[in-house]
Amino acid sequence: MADLSIKVMVEYDDFSLSIDEEVSLTGITGIFGHSGSGKSTLLKVIAGLEKHAQGNLAINDLHETDVLLASEAKIFVAPQQRNIGLVFQNSRLFPHLTVEENLRYGQKRRKNTEGNKSLDFTEIVVLTKLDNLLTKSVAQLSGGEQQRVALARALLAEPRLLLLDEPLSALDDKNKILMLTLLTKVQKQLNLPMLYVSHSLAEIQQLANNLLVLSSGKVTHYGDIHQVIHQLTTNNEILHQTSLSLTVKEHLVEYGLTSLALGDQQILMPLNQQIENDANTYTNVRCIIAASDISVTLHEPSESSIVNHLQGTITSFEPCQSQILLTVNCSGQDFFVDITAWSAQRLSLIVEQKVFIQFKANSVRTLC
Amino acid sequence: MNSTHPDMLALITTLKMAGITTIILMLIGTPLAWYLAKMKSRGKVFIEALVALPLVLPPTVLGFYLLLLFSPQYLPGQIWQEATGQQLAFSFSAIVIGSVLYSLPFVVQPLQKAFEQLGDDLLEAAAMLGASAFDRFFTIVLPITKASFITAASLGFAHTVGEFGVVLMIGGNIPGETRVLSIALFDHVEAFDYAQAHIISISLVISSIVLLSLIYLLNRPNKSRLTTKKQTESKRFS
Amino acid sequence: MGLLLGRVLISCLCIGLMLCSSPLVAAKASVNLDAKPLRIAVASNFAPTLKKLLELDKSDHKEFIKPLLITASSGTLFLQIQHGASFDLFLSADSERPQLLTTTDLAYKDSQQTYAYGQLALWSAKKNITTDLLTALKSNKQRLAIANPKIAPYGKAAKQALENLQLWHDYKSRLIQGINIGQTFQQTRSQAVNLGIVSNSQLVLNNLKGVLIPPDLHQPIKQQLVILKRSQNSQQAKSFVQFLMSEKSQQFIAQSGYAKLSEIEEKIKGEVKGEVNTHE
Repeated sequence: MADLSIKVMVEYDDFSLSIDEEVSLTGITGIFGHSGSGKSTLLKVIAGLEKHAQGNLAINDLHETDVLLASEAKIFVAPQQRNIGLVFQNSRLFPHLTVEENLRYGQKRRKNTEGNKSLDFTEIVVLTKLDNLLTKSVAQLSGGEQQRVALARALLAEPRLLLLDEPLSALDDKNKILMLTLLTKVQKQLNLPMLYVSHSLAEIQQLANNLLVLSSGKVTHYGDIHQVIHQLTTNNEILHQTSLSLTVKEHLVEYGLTSLALGDQQILMPLNQQIENDANTYTNVRCIIAASDISVTLHEPSESSIVNHLQGTITSFEPCQSQILLTVNCSGQDFFVDITAWSAQRLSLIVEQKVFIQFKANSVRTLC
Repeated sequence: MNSTHPDMLALITTLKMAGITTIILMLIGTPLAWYLAKMKSRGKVFIEALVALPLVLPPTVLGFYLLLLFSPQYLPGQIWQEATGQQLAFSFSAIVIGSVLYSLPFVVQPLQKAFEQLGDDLLEAAAMLGASAFDRFFTIVLPITKASFITAASLGFAHTVGEFGVVLMIGGNIPGETRVLSIALFDHVEAFDYAQAHIISISLVISSIVLLSLIYLLNRPNKSRLTTKKQTESKRFS
Repeated sequence: MGLLLGRVLISCLCIGLMLCSSPLVAAKASVNLDAKPLRIAVASNFAPTLKKLLELDKSDHKEFIKPLLITASSGTLFLQIQHGASFDLFLSADSERPQLLTTTDLAYKDSQQTYAYGQLALWSAKKNITTDLLTALKSNKQRLAIANPKIAPYGKAAKQALENLQLWHDYKSRLIQGINIGQTFQQTRSQAVNLGIVSNSQLVLNNLKGVLIPPDLHQPIKQQLVILKRSQNSQQAKSFVQFLMSEKSQQFIAQSGYAKLSEIEEKIKGEVKGEVNTHE
């Protein structure tokens, strides 16, 4: 298990970045922040494209440490030597080369160390669904196709770490979903660690297992994705939401619902074709439920059209202007609920109270 | 070309001078243009002004100062004499050096513009795929800016062929060495030999028009590609 | 409105000042013939001498107003005259061009005359020549600057001199040819060439010393003038020519580095030679 130790500073007239963090390189790590938070700059520092970075940057493996930057010792490893890939927001495909030639560009320059088996060209092409496009010129591709080519090209260079800088922002919704699905698949199949930068928390939530949050050039949160989202919720830094990763119990096709297991309870969400079809990849589902979509009742609802009711205990009670943010634990999972202070008072809600939470199937949102 | 022997010699001398000048200009102009394209400091404007100087300076001014510098009185002329044993003033080397300076902006400016237009995006992507600086230049920059290289070389060549003022000052009109077509033309006019003057002039005009037309043809935007893309997109939405 | 008025006033003021400083106004009082000054086209190599001559002339009873000098190479002026330039007089550095102007009826035949004879000199900018002419030329194994014999009268004479000294064959491939004697002087002065055959008038003008090349080594370098038919000032023009050809003026010209007129004319009378055509 490798990790990336970052101890860098970047100074500009109107902006500065100061990071001191050890980021574990397993699975996908999301990097979230608003515009100007420094997330793209951080990525550039890691990639070696930021000339003004000062400090230390190294990849630590079991056996060795690979220093990429050490300002005092005047060490700076050029980007082409770092064996790190980068998928940009704009595909940056080479216009004078065909799709296949673009893909081969990275492959030709890969650093195949320790005689590891190389990636199979055709395998990647099939994985990224580019089989029919190989002979086309770049100008003939749609936006979604271009990003897929950019991804495949970066993969074929066989990097040890893949950086993605808001790769989906220029795509339409349909293509976003396709890419997200693809990225999850790719990560699993190649076991390639990724750092995924985005200003869309929903995207990151879909993909990442860890989350790094940046604000004004500094790290404010780092950890397990669900935990960090929950921290952000309780800190009121984002819209209150519950972030979940649950396994599929079964698909209720005739009702258009999918059942997710939550301890001895279940959560019903709208049936998703992709999940149903791709059973192997999707036994685990990531979803978000907005706190404003959940309501609380004192007694188990019996005749309600709302399909989801879970039994739980109130574990925290936070006033927030004229609202109250409740944390309700159901079968070991914390759920965030926004209710009015008025309702809280009316129902005399207090910590440790046993309640039921309700939310519609539609409130269980997932991107894929 | 139906010309007398001395003019044929002048033509050969001209082609030699322009050819060698163009090669030198491409070799030094390319890194200079690259450096200017990527440079961000305030010094950039100063260097750009220096490079552009021959565009506005009368060629005789440049020729005048070069004549002084190349003569054994001044350091450059002396250094050359030490190094090669030959005198620099009134030599083929002198007019090549003069032409390099005088045609510099014609080579540097199109290249600089092309490099600036190329931007950094593609180069960063290439670097992240493992391409070194030289690799990036030959596999990305050169193929994409090919047309500008051809333009720069052609303009440099054509401009040098038409060179008169500088060669007049520092050439010395030596047949086979510094007597180029433009000087030969001038001699014919002064000696009232208008027939010969016309032959040289018309040939120069025609070849210049042909060369310039080729350059403009090369630099037309690539219409066929745009059409294909539009067709593909319209199919998608129909 | 006030701004516009101000601008108009300033413009009027400027125009007024220009008119006041015009020689026209100043000279009007002294001459009652042809009130306009002469426009004299003069070859570059003679211009400095002419200017000095005019400055030194202090006589009050001028029959001509201080003329306007237009200086350029003989070739350029010739072309301009052919294409309608309004000069009154043309002082060329050669005799071919004035001849052509008379034969093409652009100038008065009887005005064509020699006003000066060019004098060649061998000169080095590097160090003074201490030997005699022949030795200096023979001992120089490097290049020699002369004006282009095909197009410049001083060059033609230089070639003739070298031929007469049996040195042309030797020097033929070692020449730096200037487009006119002015460029030859400049090239020699730059020291990029050891020796140059220049016009003695250039040396005198710059207080330099060279070795005179005896005029009998070459055809006389006749610098001729013509009065142009287009001139509307022919009275004044004639007066000017008289002035230029006067004893006093001719002496000054000779002192300025040109050959003595009388000597040359003696030579010409002695050996009747035809005009040599530069169209070889």
